[in-house]
Amino acid sequence: MSKSNLTNNIRRLRFENGQMTQQKLADKVGVTRQTVIAIEAGKYAPSLPLAFRIARTFAVQIEQVFQYQDDDPQVSASDTNI
Amino acid sequence: MNRKQKIALTLVVTISIGLFLGIILIVMRLFDVGIPKIAFLFPVVIAGSGGIISITCFKKDKGTIIFDERDKLIDKNANLAGFGAVYLYVIIMSFLPIGILGEEASIPVTWCPVLLIGAGFCQAFAQSIAILIQYGWVGKDVEK
Repeated sequence: MSKSNLTNNIRRLRFENGQMTQQKLADKVGVTRQTVIAIEAGKYAPSLPLAFRIARTFAVQIEQVFQYQDDDPQVSASDTNI
Repeated sequence: MNRKQKIALTLVVTISIGLFLGIILIVMRLFDVGIPKIAFLFPVVIAGSGGIISITCFKKDKGTIIFDERDKLIDKNANLAGFGAVYLYVIIMSFLPIGILGEEASIPVTWCPVLLIGAGFCQAFAQSIAILIQYGWVGKDVEK
């Protein structure tokens, strides 16, 4: 349950999608409300299938929901060179 | 707070009270206050009451989805914590008599069931603590 470098826009997307409640989002993606709260707060990194389900619920790309910040800038730099 | 958290909190409280009473009784026995052996069942009953309270008082969570991938992960980690705690407990309790009584001493056979009951409580306690920590103690499930 460790905090990761994963940030998300779930809260903003919920409000942009007709003030969707956490419970409604939880029901749509098939998790409990507690899990939605934990993901929104960045306390839980969802699995890849769940992340896709959340993105599809908002009809956006997964990168628009979740962003990953690397600690090591060299890794990012080498990634871009490939 | 979901059902699992309520059960975990109940177990932590009852086992802690049982442990506290057990320590008091052992200290009183060491000072020869005159406590009958049967009195040692009292903390065990108190500690074990958490399980009975959990079964009778906490009903199933409401909602269509009550278990998901996060709960599964928390369960897995909690079970691991419980197993680790029991492993440590058995090691400590196996060597403790040698350390306290010496190599030549003997212990009553009642030590074995006591060890078993203690292992059960140790597992339940560690697992409950792990569940509470992973869910975030009180589960701040407030709509924002």
